[in-house]
Amino acid sequence: MRSAFEWVDALPSSIALRESLNAYPTLLTTHVVSMCLFAGLIAFWDMRLVGLTLRKVPVSNIPTRLFPWALTGYGINLITGGLLLYSQPMRYYDNFYFWAKMALMAVAGFNMLWFHYATYKSVQAWDQGREIPMSARLAGVVSLALWAGVVVTGRMMAYAGLMPEWWNNLNIGA
Amino acid sequence: MTQSFFEWMQGLSFSAWMLEETWASPIIQCMHLVALVAFAGAVLVVDMRLLGRGLIKTSTARLARELDRWMIWSFVALFVTGAPQVLSTALKQYYSPFFWWKMQIIVIGLVFTFTIRRRVAFAEEGTLGHWPKVVGVLSIGIWTSVSVWARLIGLLS
Ligand code: HEM
Ligand code: HEM
Repeated sequence: MRSAFEWVDALPSSIALRESLNAYPTLLTTHVVSMCLFAGLIAFWDMRLVGLTLRKVPVSNIPTRLFPWALTGYGINLITGGLLLYSQPMRYYDNFYFWAKMALMAVAGFNMLWFHYATYKSVQAWDQGREIPMSARLAGVVSLALWAGVVVTGRMMAYAGLMPEWWNNLNIGA
Repeated sequence: MTQSFFEWMQGLSFSAWMLEETWASPIIQCMHLVALVAFAGAVLVVDMRLLGRGLIKTSTARLARELDRWMIWSFVALFVTGAPQVLSTALKQYYSPFFWWKMQIIVIGLVFTFTIRRRVAFAEEGTLGHWPKVVGVLSIGIWTSVSVWARLIGLLS
Protein backbone atom coordinates (compact mmCIF):
# COMPACT_ATOMS: atom_id res chain seq x y z
CA MET A 1 0.00 0.00 0.00
CA ARG A 2 2.71 2.42 0.99
CA SER A 3 4.66 1.87 -2.20
CA ALA A 4 1.53 2.62 -4.26
CA PHE A 5 1.13 5.93 -2.44
CA GLU A 6 4.81 6.72 -2.91
CA TRP A 7 4.62 5.82 -6.58
CA VAL A 8 1.70 8.24 -7.14
CA ASP A 9 3.51 10.89 -5.10
CA ALA A 10 6.39 10.84 -7.56
CA LEU A 11 4.29 11.02 -10.75
CA PRO A 12 4.72 14.26 -12.70
CA SER A 13 0.94 14.81 -12.87
CA SER A 14 0.64 14.44 -9.09
CA ILE A 15 3.49 16.89 -8.57
CA ALA A 16 1.94 19.33 -11.04
CA LEU A 17 -1.40 19.24 -9.20
CA ARG A 18 0.34 19.61 -5.84
CA GLU A 19 2.30 22.63 -7.00
CA SER A 20 -0.61 24.33 -8.74
CA LEU A 21 -1.92 27.26 -6.70
CA ASN A 22 -5.47 26.89 -7.94
CA ALA A 23 -5.95 23.14 -7.91
CA TYR A 24 -6.42 22.59 -4.16
CA PRO A 25 -8.88 25.45 -3.52
CA THR A 26 -10.88 24.62 -6.65
CA LEU A 27 -11.03 20.88 -5.95
CA LEU A 28 -11.86 21.26 -2.25
CA THR A 29 -14.60 23.82 -2.91
CA THR A 30 -16.13 21.62 -5.62
CA HIS A 31 -15.84 18.67 -3.24
CA VAL A 32 -17.90 20.52 -0.62
CA VAL A 33 -20.55 21.71 -3.07
CA SER A 34 -20.98 18.27 -4.67
CA MET A 35 -21.14 16.78 -1.17
CA CYS A 36 -24.17 19.02 -0.57
CA LEU A 37 -25.93 17.61 -3.64
CA PHE A 38 -25.16 14.01 -2.73
CA ALA A 39 -25.38 13.98 1.06
CA GLY A 40 -28.25 16.49 1.20
CA LEU A 41 -30.51 14.30 -0.92
CA ILE A 42 -29.41 11.05 0.72
CA ALA A 43 -30.09 12.53 4.16
CA PHE A 44 -33.71 13.22 3.24
CA TRP A 45 -34.08 9.77 1.73
CA ASP A 46 -32.78 8.27 4.98
CA MET A 47 -35.08 10.46 7.03
CA ARG A 48 -38.01 9.36 4.87
CA LEU A 49 -37.13 5.74 5.69
CA VAL A 50 -36.91 6.54 9.37
CA GLY A 51 -40.27 8.30 9.10
CA LEU A 52 -39.01 11.73 10.15
CA THR A 53 -40.17 13.68 7.13
CA LEU A 54 -41.80 13.54 3.66
CA ARG A 55 -44.23 10.94 4.95
CA LYS A 56 -46.75 11.70 2.21
CA VAL A 57 -44.27 11.03 -0.57
CA PRO A 58 -44.39 7.36 -1.70
CA VAL A 59 -41.13 5.73 -0.64
CA SER A 60 -40.38 4.37 -4.12
CA ASN A 61 -40.60 7.88 -5.61
CA ILE A 62 -37.33 8.88 -4.07
CA PRO A 63 -34.97 6.31 -5.61
CA THR A 64 -36.47 6.79 -9.06
CA ARG A 65 -36.66 10.59 -8.94
CA LEU A 66 -33.86 11.74 -6.66
CA PHE A 67 -31.13 9.10 -6.94
CA PRO A 68 -29.94 10.15 -10.42
CA TRP A 69 -29.18 13.59 -8.95
CA ALA A 70 -27.62 12.20 -5.81
CA LEU A 71 -25.43 9.92 -7.93
CA THR A 72 -24.35 12.86 -10.08
CA GLY A 73 -23.26 14.62 -6.89
CA TYR A 74 -21.47 11.51 -5.73
CA GLY A 75 -19.68 11.18 -9.06
CA ILE A 76 -18.30 14.72 -8.82
CA ASN A 77 -17.49 14.10 -5.16
CA LEU A 78 -15.55 10.97 -6.06
CA ILE A 79 -13.61 12.66 -8.85
CA THR A 80 -12.68 15.76 -6.81
CA GLY A 81 -11.89 13.67 -3.72
CA GLY A 82 -9.82 11.29 -5.84
CA LEU A 83 -7.85 14.18 -7.36
CA LEU A 84 -7.24 15.73 -3.94
CA LEU A 85 -5.85 12.40 -2.79
CA TYR A 86 -3.84 12.01 -6.00
CA SER A 87 -2.26 15.43 -5.51
CA GLN A 88 -0.93 14.77 -1.98
CA PRO A 89 -0.96 11.00 -1.32
CA MET A 90 1.72 11.14 1.35
CA ARG A 91 -0.17 13.83 3.25
CA TYR A 92 -3.10 11.44 3.66
CA TYR A 93 -1.27 8.12 3.92
CA ASP A 94 -0.68 8.38 7.68
CA ASN A 95 -3.89 10.35 8.30
CA PHE A 96 -6.24 8.49 10.63
CA TYR A 97 -9.30 10.43 9.51
CA PHE A 98 -8.62 9.61 5.86
CA TRP A 99 -8.70 5.85 6.51
CA ALA A 100 -11.65 6.20 8.89
CA LYS A 101 -13.54 8.11 6.20
CA MET A 102 -12.84 5.43 3.58
CA ALA A 103 -13.92 2.69 6.01
CA LEU A 104 -17.15 4.51 6.92
CA MET A 105 -17.90 5.02 3.25
CA ALA A 106 -17.37 1.32 2.54
CA VAL A 107 -19.73 0.32 5.37
CA ALA A 108 -22.30 2.86 4.14
CA GLY A 109 -22.05 1.26 0.70
CA PHE A 110 -22.65 -2.21 2.12
CA ASN A 111 -25.62 -0.93 4.09
CA MET A 112 -27.07 0.53 0.90
CA LEU A 113 -26.58 -2.69 -1.09
CA TRP A 114 -28.05 -4.82 1.66
CA PHE A 115 -31.05 -2.55 1.92
CA HIS A 116 -31.51 -2.50 -1.82
CA TYR A 117 -31.29 -6.27 -2.36
CA ALA A 118 -33.09 -7.40 0.78
CA THR A 119 -35.40 -4.91 2.49
CA TYR A 120 -36.36 -2.82 -0.53
CA LYS A 121 -37.70 -5.87 -2.43
CA SER A 122 -40.92 -5.67 -0.43
CA VAL A 123 -41.41 -1.92 -0.94
CA GLN A 124 -44.79 -2.34 -2.66
CA ALA A 125 -46.25 -3.42 0.67
CA TRP A 126 -45.21 -0.27 2.51
CA ASP A 127 -44.80 2.29 -0.26
CA GLN A 128 -47.70 4.56 0.66
CA GLY A 129 -48.38 3.59 4.22
CA ARG A 130 -46.93 5.01 7.38
CA GLU A 131 -45.87 1.60 8.67
CA ILE A 132 -42.30 1.33 7.50
CA PRO A 133 -40.70 -2.01 8.46
CA MET A 134 -38.17 -1.94 11.25
CA SER A 135 -35.37 -3.17 8.96
CA ALA A 136 -35.91 -0.19 6.65
CA ARG A 137 -35.92 2.28 9.54
CA LEU A 138 -32.77 0.73 10.87
CA ALA A 139 -31.08 1.02 7.47
CA GLY A 140 -32.04 4.71 7.47
CA VAL A 141 -30.64 5.42 10.93
CA VAL A 142 -27.42 3.54 10.19
CA SER A 143 -27.01 5.39 6.90
CA LEU A 144 -27.56 8.81 8.53
CA ALA A 145 -24.95 8.05 11.18
CA LEU A 146 -22.42 6.71 8.67
CA TRP A 147 -22.69 9.63 6.24
CA ALA A 148 -22.48 12.13 9.09
CA GLY A 149 -19.32 10.27 10.08
CA VAL A 150 -17.97 10.65 6.55
CA VAL A 151 -18.58 14.42 6.68
CA VAL A 152 -16.92 14.73 10.09
CA THR A 153 -13.88 12.60 9.24
CA GLY A 154 -13.65 14.50 5.92
CA ARG A 155 -13.30 17.81 7.76
CA MET A 156 -10.99 16.32 10.40
CA MET A 157 -8.46 15.24 7.74
CA ALA A 158 -7.14 18.80 7.86
CA TYR A 159 -6.15 18.34 11.53
CA ALA A 160 -2.99 16.28 11.28
CA GLY A 161 -2.20 17.20 14.90
CA LEU A 162 -5.40 15.68 16.27
CA MET A 163 -4.99 11.98 15.44
CA PRO A 164 -5.76 9.52 18.26
CA GLU A 165 -2.82 8.58 20.46
CA TRP A 166 -2.95 4.86 19.59
CA TRP A 167 -2.87 5.72 15.90
CA ASN A 168 0.24 7.87 16.31
CA ASN A 169 1.85 5.00 18.18
CA LEU A 170 1.45 2.76 15.12
CA ASN A 171 3.92 5.08 13.40
CA ILE A 172 2.49 4.45 9.96
CA GLY A 173 4.19 7.44 8.39
CA ALA A 174 7.68 6.42 9.41
CA MET B 1 -17.00 51.53 13.92
CA THR B 2 -17.33 48.11 12.28
CA GLN B 3 -13.66 47.47 12.82
CA SER B 4 -13.83 48.21 16.53
CA PHE B 5 -16.82 45.88 16.80
CA PHE B 6 -14.77 43.07 15.26
CA GLU B 7 -11.85 43.93 17.53
CA TRP B 8 -14.19 43.73 20.50
CA MET B 9 -15.42 40.27 19.38
CA GLN B 10 -11.87 39.07 18.94
CA GLY B 11 -11.02 40.26 22.46
CA LEU B 12 -13.80 38.36 24.24
CA SER B 13 -12.73 35.69 26.69
CA PHE B 14 -14.98 33.26 24.79
CA SER B 15 -12.86 33.84 21.67
CA ALA B 16 -9.70 33.17 23.64
CA TRP B 17 -11.24 29.98 25.01
CA MET B 18 -12.21 28.80 21.50
CA LEU B 19 -8.64 29.28 20.32
CA GLU B 20 -7.05 27.64 23.33
CA GLU B 21 -9.32 24.61 23.52
CA THR B 22 -7.82 22.25 20.93
CA TRP B 23 -11.08 20.52 20.04
CA ALA B 24 -13.48 23.48 20.13
CA SER B 25 -12.93 24.79 16.60
CA PRO B 26 -12.74 21.43 14.81
CA ILE B 27 -15.91 20.17 16.48
CA ILE B 28 -17.80 23.34 15.63
CA GLN B 29 -16.56 23.24 12.03
CA CYS B 30 -17.75 19.65 11.67
CA MET B 31 -21.15 20.59 13.08
CA HIS B 32 -21.35 23.54 10.66
CA LEU B 33 -20.84 21.09 7.78
CA VAL B 34 -23.40 18.58 9.06
CA ALA B 35 -25.91 21.44 9.38
CA LEU B 36 -24.95 22.52 5.87
CA VAL B 37 -25.84 19.09 4.47
CA ALA B 38 -29.28 19.20 6.13
CA PHE B 39 -29.85 22.75 4.89
CA ALA B 40 -28.76 21.85 1.36
CA GLY B 41 -31.11 18.86 1.22
CA ALA B 42 -34.12 20.80 2.53
CA VAL B 43 -33.56 23.64 0.06
CA LEU B 44 -32.67 21.45 -2.90
CA VAL B 45 -35.64 19.08 -2.80
CA VAL B 46 -37.97 22.09 -3.16
CA ASP B 47 -35.78 23.93 -5.70
CA MET B 48 -35.60 20.85 -7.89
CA ARG B 49 -39.38 20.55 -7.71
CA LEU B 50 -39.66 24.21 -8.79
CA LEU B 51 -37.53 23.23 -11.78
CA GLY B 52 -39.90 20.38 -12.58
CA ARG B 53 -37.40 17.72 -11.46
CA GLY B 54 -37.22 15.36 -8.56
CA LEU B 55 -40.39 14.53 -6.62
CA ILE B 56 -42.86 15.69 -9.29
CA LYS B 57 -45.68 13.44 -8.08
CA THR B 58 -46.03 15.59 -4.98
CA SER B 59 -47.11 19.24 -5.27
CA THR B 60 -44.50 21.94 -4.73
CA ALA B 61 -46.61 23.53 -2.00
CA ARG B 62 -46.81 20.29 -0.05
CA LEU B 63 -43.06 19.66 -0.29
CA ALA B 64 -42.32 23.27 0.65
CA ARG B 65 -44.65 23.16 3.65
CA GLU B 66 -43.10 19.92 4.89
CA LEU B 67 -39.49 20.99 4.37
CA ASP B 68 -39.88 24.55 5.63
CA ARG B 69 -39.05 23.70 9.21
CA TRP B 70 -36.08 21.55 8.20
CA MET B 71 -34.74 24.47 6.24
CA ILE B 72 -35.33 26.95 9.08
CA TRP B 73 -33.91 24.76 11.84
CA SER B 74 -30.86 23.74 9.86
CA PHE B 75 -30.23 27.41 9.14
CA VAL B 76 -30.48 28.09 12.86
CA ALA B 77 -27.89 25.34 13.35
CA LEU B 78 -25.65 26.99 10.73
CA PHE B 79 -25.96 30.28 12.57
CA VAL B 80 -25.31 28.75 15.98
CA THR B 81 -22.19 26.94 14.70
CA GLY B 82 -21.06 29.85 12.49
CA ALA B 83 -21.26 32.64 15.08
CA PRO B 84 -18.63 31.21 17.48
CA GLN B 85 -16.25 30.91 14.53
CA VAL B 86 -16.84 34.56 13.68
CA LEU B 87 -16.08 35.49 17.30
CA SER B 88 -12.88 33.48 17.57
CA THR B 89 -11.49 34.57 14.19
CA ALA B 90 -13.15 38.00 14.03
CA LEU B 91 -10.17 39.88 12.60
CA LYS B 92 -9.47 37.25 9.95
CA GLN B 93 -13.12 37.45 8.92
CA TYR B 94 -13.09 41.25 8.96
CA TYR B 95 -10.19 41.38 6.52
CA SER B 96 -11.53 38.63 4.23
CA PRO B 97 -13.59 39.89 1.26
CA PHE B 98 -15.13 36.41 1.01
CA PHE B 99 -16.60 36.71 4.49
CA TRP B 100 -18.40 39.91 3.54
CA TRP B 101 -19.63 38.45 0.26
CA LYS B 102 -20.89 35.42 2.12
CA MET B 103 -22.79 37.51 4.67
CA GLN B 104 -24.28 39.84 2.07
CA ILE B 105 -25.46 36.95 -0.06
CA ILE B 106 -26.91 35.20 3.00
CA VAL B 107 -29.01 38.30 3.71
CA ILE B 108 -30.14 38.44 0.08
CA GLY B 109 -30.85 34.70 0.21
CA LEU B 110 -32.96 34.95 3.36
CA VAL B 111 -35.04 37.85 2.02
CA PHE B 112 -35.49 36.07 -1.31
CA THR B 113 -36.42 32.78 0.37
CA PHE B 114 -39.02 34.23 2.68
CA THR B 115 -40.66 36.53 0.15
CA ILE B 116 -40.49 35.53 -3.52
CA ARG B 117 -39.53 31.87 -3.22
CA ARG B 118 -42.12 31.19 -0.55
CA ARG B 119 -44.87 32.88 -2.56
CA VAL B 120 -43.99 30.97 -5.71
CA ALA B 121 -43.62 27.61 -3.94
CA PHE B 122 -47.00 27.96 -2.23
CA ALA B 123 -48.81 29.22 -5.34
CA GLU B 124 -51.26 27.03 -7.19
CA GLU B 125 -49.50 24.69 -9.62
CA GLY B 126 -49.27 25.88 -13.22
CA THR B 127 -50.43 29.46 -12.65
CA LEU B 128 -47.04 31.17 -12.84
CA GLY B 129 -45.61 30.12 -16.18
CA HIS B 130 -41.83 29.97 -16.12
CA TRP B 131 -41.38 31.81 -12.81
CA PRO B 132 -40.98 28.72 -10.64
CA LYS B 133 -38.01 27.67 -12.78
CA VAL B 134 -36.39 31.09 -12.49
CA VAL B 135 -36.86 31.03 -8.72
CA GLY B 136 -35.44 27.51 -8.44
CA VAL B 137 -32.32 28.42 -10.39
CA LEU B 138 -31.81 31.61 -8.37
CA SER B 139 -32.19 29.78 -5.07
CA ILE B 140 -29.69 27.07 -6.01
CA GLY B 141 -27.31 29.74 -7.32
CA ILE B 142 -27.54 31.88 -4.19
CA TRP B 143 -26.83 29.09 -1.70
CA THR B 144 -24.13 27.51 -3.86
CA SER B 145 -22.30 30.83 -4.03
CA VAL B 146 -22.62 31.22 -0.25
CA SER B 147 -20.89 27.84 0.15
CA VAL B 148 -18.17 28.71 -2.34
CA TRP B 149 -17.30 32.06 -0.68
CA ALA B 150 -17.48 30.39 2.73
CA ARG B 151 -14.98 27.72 1.79
CA LEU B 152 -12.66 30.30 0.23
CA ILE B 153 -12.47 32.28 3.51
CA GLY B 154 -10.42 29.47 4.97
CA LEU B 155 -8.46 28.69 1.82
CA LEU B 156 -7.53 32.13 0.54
CA SER B 157 -7.58 34.52 3.50
C1 HEM C 1 -13.60 8.20 -2.58
C2 HEM C 1 -14.18 9.31 -2.32
C3 HEM C 1 -13.53 10.46 -1.59
C4 HEM C 1 -12.20 10.80 -1.50
C5 HEM C 1 -10.99 10.10 -2.08
C6 HEM C 1 -12.15 11.99 -0.68
C7 HEM C 1 -10.98 12.67 -0.36
C8 HEM C 1 -10.93 13.87 0.30
C9 HEM C 1 -9.74 14.67 0.50
C10 HEM C 1 -8.35 14.29 0.00
C11 HEM C 1 -10.10 15.78 1.19
C12 HEM C 1 -9.18 16.95 1.58
C13 HEM C 1 -8.85 16.93 3.03
C14 HEM C 1 -7.95 18.09 3.39
O1 HEM C 1 -6.93 18.30 2.69
O2 HEM C 1 -8.27 18.77 4.35
C15 HEM C 1 -11.51 15.69 1.47
C16 HEM C 1 -12.25 16.61 2.19
C17 HEM C 1 -13.59 16.43 2.56
N1 HEM C 1 -14.44 15.42 2.15
FE1 HEM C 1 -13.92 13.92 0.90
N2 HEM C 1 -13.43 12.34 -0.30
C18 HEM C 1 -14.31 11.43 -0.84
C19 HEM C 1 -15.69 11.40 -0.67
C20 HEM C 1 -16.40 12.20 0.22
C21 HEM C 1 -17.79 12.07 0.55
C22 HEM C 1 -18.73 11.02 -0.03
C23 HEM C 1 -18.08 13.04 1.48
C24 HEM C 1 -19.38 13.38 2.19
C25 HEM C 1 -20.47 12.75 2.17
C26 HEM C 1 -16.89 13.79 1.73
C27 HEM C 1 -16.78 14.84 2.61
C28 HEM C 1 -15.66 15.63 2.77
C29 HEM C 1 -15.61 16.79 3.61
C30 HEM C 1 -16.75 17.36 4.47
C31 HEM C 1 -14.31 17.31 3.48
C32 HEM C 1 -13.76 18.55 4.18
C33 HEM C 1 -14.06 19.72 3.31
C34 HEM C 1 -13.65 21.00 3.92
O3 HEM C 1 -12.54 21.08 4.51
O4 HEM C 1 -14.41 21.96 3.80
N3 HEM C 1 -15.88 13.26 0.94
N4 HEM C 1 -12.00 14.52 0.91
C1 HEM D 1 -25.41 33.45 9.62
C2 HEM D 1 -25.02 32.22 9.51
C3 HEM D 1 -23.58 31.80 9.28
C4 HEM D 1 -22.42 32.21 9.91
C5 HEM D 1 -22.28 33.23 11.03
C6 HEM D 1 -21.34 31.44 9.30
C7 HEM D 1 -19.99 31.56 9.64
C8 HEM D 1 -18.97 30.80 9.15
C9 HEM D 1 -17.57 30.92 9.48
C10 HEM D 1 -16.99 31.98 10.42
C11 HEM D 1 -16.88 29.96 8.81
C12 HEM D 1 -15.39 29.69 8.88
C13 HEM D 1 -14.70 30.32 7.72
C14 HEM D 1 -13.22 30.20 7.85
O1 HEM D 1 -12.64 31.01 8.57
O2 HEM D 1 -12.66 29.28 7.26
C15 HEM D 1 -17.84 29.22 8.03
C16 HEM D 1 -17.55 28.17 7.18
C17 HEM D 1 -18.41 27.67 6.24
N1 HEM D 1 -19.75 28.00 6.08
FE1 HEM D 1 -20.79 29.27 7.24
N2 HEM D 1 -21.85 30.61 8.34
C18 HEM D 1 -23.22 30.82 8.28
C19 HEM D 1 -24.11 30.24 7.42
C20 HEM D 1 -23.75 29.44 6.34
C21 HEM D 1 -24.61 29.06 5.24
C22 HEM D 1 -26.07 29.48 5.10
C23 HEM D 1 -23.87 28.26 4.41
C24 HEM D 1 -24.23 27.57 3.11
C25 HEM D 1 -25.36 27.59 2.51
C26 HEM D 1 -22.54 28.15 4.98
C27 HEM D 1 -21.50 27.40 4.43
C28 HEM D 1 -20.23 27.31 4.96
C29 HEM D 1 -19.17 26.50 4.40
C30 HEM D 1 -19.27 25.59 3.17
C31 HEM D 1 -18.03 26.73 5.20
C32 HEM D 1 -16.66 26.11 5.02
C33 HEM D 1 -16.68 24.87 5.86
C34 HEM D 1 -15.35 24.31 6.18
O3 HEM D 1 -14.75 24.73 7.17
O4 HEM D 1 -14.92 23.42 5.47
N3 HEM D 1 -22.50 28.87 6.15
N4 HEM D 1 -19.12 29.76 8.25
